[in-house]
Amino acid sequence: MSWLGRLKNHLRQSALSKEIAREMRFHLAEREDDLVARGMMPDAARREARRRFGSLAYQGELTRERNLFAWLDSVVTDVRYALRALGAAPAFTTVAVLSLALGIGANTAIFSVIDALVLKSLPVSHPEELVSVLHDTDNPIFTNPLWEAIRDREDMFSGIFAYGTTSFNLTSGGEAQRVEGNTVSGDYFATLGVRPVAGRLVDKKDDYRGCPGLVVLSEGFWDTRYSGDPGAIGKTLSLDGHPFQIIGVADGRFSGLSVGERPQLFVPICSEKIIMGANSQLDERSSWYLQITGRPRPGLTATQVNARLATLAPGIVAATIPPNWPADALAHYRKTTFTIGDGSKGFSFTRMMYEKALYILMAIVGLVLLIACANVANLLLARAAVRQREMAVRLALGAARGRLVRQLITESLLLSSFGAMLGIAFAIWGSRGLVRLLSSGERSIALDLGIDSRVLVFTIFVATLTGLLFGLVPAWRAGRVDPQSAMKAHGRGVTEGHSRFRMGKALVAIQVAMSLVLIVGAALLIGSWRRLTTEDPGFQRRGILLVHADFQNINIPRDQRLIFSEQLLNAVQSLPGVQSASGSQITPVGNNTWNDVFRTEAFTAKSEDDATSWVNPVSDGYFRTLGIPVLAGRDFDQRDSPVAPRVAIVNEAMAKHFFGSPAALGRHFQRQEGSSWSAPIEVVGIVGTTKYHSMRDSAQPIVYFPRSQLSPEAQQMSIEIRTSGMPTGLVPTVTKAITKVNPRITLDITTLEQQVSESLALARAIATLSGFFGALAMVLATIGLYGIMTYTVARRRNEIGVRIALGAEQARVVRMVLGEVLAIVIVGVVLGVALSVGTTRLATAFLYGVRPTDPATLTAAVVVLTAVGVAAAALPAWRASRLDPVAALREE
Amino acid sequence: MPRHKNDILQGTLVLLVLKTLAAQGRMHGYAITSHIQRASADLLRVEEGSLYPALHRMAQDGWLKAEWGTTEKNREAKFYAITPAGRKQLELEEESWTRLRTGVTRVLRYA
Repeated sequence: MSWLGRLKNHLRQSALSKEIAREMRFHLAEREDDLVARGMMPDAARREARRRFGSLAYQGELTRERNLFAWLDSVVTDVRYALRALGAAPAFTTVAVLSLALGIGANTAIFSVIDALVLKSLPVSHPEELVSVLHDTDNPIFTNPLWEAIRDREDMFSGIFAYGTTSFNLTSGGEAQRVEGNTVSGDYFATLGVRPVAGRLVDKKDDYRGCPGLVVLSEGFWDTRYSGDPGAIGKTLSLDGHPFQIIGVADGRFSGLSVGERPQLFVPICSEKIIMGANSQLDERSSWYLQITGRPRPGLTATQVNARLATLAPGIVAATIPPNWPADALAHYRKTTFTIGDGSKGFSFTRMMYEKALYILMAIVGLVLLIACANVANLLLARAAVRQREMAVRLALGAARGRLVRQLITESLLLSSFGAMLGIAFAIWGSRGLVRLLSSGERSIALDLGIDSRVLVFTIFVATLTGLLFGLVPAWRAGRVDPQSAMKAHGRGVTEGHSRFRMGKALVAIQVAMSLVLIVGAALLIGSWRRLTTEDPGFQRRGILLVHADFQNINIPRDQRLIFSEQLLNAVQSLPGVQSASGSQITPVGNNTWNDVFRTEAFTAKSEDDATSWVNPVSDGYFRTLGIPVLAGRDFDQRDSPVAPRVAIVNEAMAKHFFGSPAALGRHFQRQEGSSWSAPIEVVGIVGTTKYHSMRDSAQPIVYFPRSQLSPEAQQMSIEIRTSGMPTGLVPTVTKAITKVNPRITLDITTLEQQVSESLALARAIATLSGFFGALAMVLATIGLYGIMTYTVARRRNEIGVRIALGAEQARVVRMVLGEVLAIVIVGVVLGVALSVGTTRLATAFLYGVRPTDPATLTAAVVVLTAVGVAAAALPAWRASRLDPVAALREE
Repeated sequence: MPRHKNDILQGTLVLLVLKTLAAQGRMHGYAITSHIQRASADLLRVEEGSLYPALHRMAQDGWLKAEWGTTEKNREAKFYAITPAGRKQLELEEESWTRLRTGVTRVLRYA
């Protein structure tokens, strides 16, 4: 009978019973009156009235088993019985619930992060209607001219907008205070259906070339900086040193389209000109920084929109041809296509960065949960053996087998629900910790981690599944008990039936196998992380302060910028505690990169990638400051002025790649500049190969140019400072010295060591977590081994007693028990090695300097696990050998 | 529960109730019980526990209509009255009772 049917029946019948009860009360009262009238005492009359009524005979009229109430009643009985049974075995219950809580909690924690980052739709109106515009199949990033060309031509969207992510500096000089922000086009808020909580939001009429500086605050920013004061509207906020008027506050439930980031400020795209001035990217046809999202008109299918975009494409492309592009790149540009993709979840760098890592973590905690399940199943099997008589008695007394199975499954589900409840608490704590661990880099991740209905459904699903997984087999076995033989077998046999053992041992072997996978995985990931942190990057990372100076605000004339930056360097170099200082456009293993295409006579490139090298414009002293060895030639110096012949210093990898030999001193190469090639550039020095973009870099070519020749007009410079003491101790002195040159210079300060360590945040997080879960898996498997061996020894007391009585030596008994454990471990390990070889390559992207099937790692993991396994069995083995045969045999 | 000697034969309860209501008009359950007992000169006694579910069934079948009201003693009680469908049913029940009685009497006489 369906739930609904039961429910209907129940409702109807309970109403019916109530009616009838009411009538009966009347009847009884009347009967009582009559009896009293005939002279009975009131009490006796009441009893007699009831007696005549024939107790609760009416109940026979109700259909019993079809009644939801009766059904629920039997469930309640089952639950109550299960609670009593679990309460009677507190140690078992605690161990089971705790290991399930850890397993379910870890799964819920990781899932809730995946949910927040990957699965959730944007918190805007009808997110499912949103589409993102893409070019060349999958590229979501556009230039402003492209965006404007699309906006002016499209006719299939009821709303369409572009946005870019950026950060704003709130100070106007000195150390920067940066907040995340978005540049948005006019229809941004209107299309998303976001409402202001104060003032108004940016709209269409704010979005025009030459617009004034307007800014919309996020509710969070409004709260922390203005305490939610409505008077903030109309005030001025300094962004990168320029005044922006606050026009309103956006609803706090909205946090931008880039999941994982939380923009605090929104300004119109056009107001970028106020900040960037002559460097404005609004008309730059090669500056890609905007994303486009729209809501197609109702009734339009994706195919129709794509078809329309295809017909518009030639016009859009023709209007935005970038100047000075090489011919082949231009040919490619002319063939640009436009399509739409799912926009309901926004576009997120955070998601791209962490999605894969999260799936790996999900797989890891999934395995941990399986191991925990195996543990609980084993505990249940052991318990089932103890409770065999209880079951037999109940069966003999006429309990239905189905009822017994249901009873045991109720117990399992109860265990897993307790585990889940505790697990959710653990997950709330764990998911926050996980996000903190992942965002310990420069990117701080802001996620809405509330336990929503999807997470709850996931947890309930996992809990039910685990409950059935570890509960079904023991329950099914219990249901098969034959009452006669179970009663007879009590205590009399010398050994137990072996089948239950086989089941338990198989479970433990599987646990060992899965633990091995996790341990191998953890060893690979931790090893990779260690290698990444300890490997020599080719430069000295300790004792170096990095100061990024931005002097765009000062509007220094082009021809004086080089002199200005040299003034800055001089101001720093002369400070006490500074051993040396240099300037560069790029810092090692930082967020910025620069690459160009080069050619030499000695080398024919196989592709454009093959002809590409990293680039870094540096001042003299750069190599000395960072401790990069100059292998041949000289450092840059006064000779390399803007008007002098062009020179470069290359690293060894570059020399080998482009000249075929490290001895490239004095040779020449050319750099692609626009659609032509530069004048020959002479190699005046060869330096050691260093990491450029990431610690994972292999030996990659780098070309160093003198700042004076490649970027003399730059309005920003990174300064590397080698200090004699702690680098951070010098921050106030350096800040003071630089702002003394000009107070409006903006500074971002860190250390090289910090920068390197932040670039490894994800590797560290994964290593930490996989290590934690690997250890957890090993502990669980050890408990499993210990449990099964203790239990085996207990069950074989008689046999062992007989053996000892017949003269078996202690060592022999120990050997016997250990041999059994070893057999389990060996089966598990063989299975585990096979599993590891098959699965660890999924983590290849996170490994460094090691193959996923590294034999040394595999061997080490096998040895450790075997040792731990044997150690776990040592106590039961020792106990077995000390068995008093007389006591053991008398026990019967 | 041991059957009371003068409990009403199963299946005749409906007949008796319908007949009572057809003759007496609107009555509550207790009155029906008392009436049957009185009219049969204490030969028949309604099993009280099964009267009310039976009344309900009959109401559901459309033979009776039921409504709550108050008695002279100002107690809440449900009052039953026979419907046209109930009268038709009464005819059928009377017929079948006659047949049954005739049959039983014949068996008793000639067997």
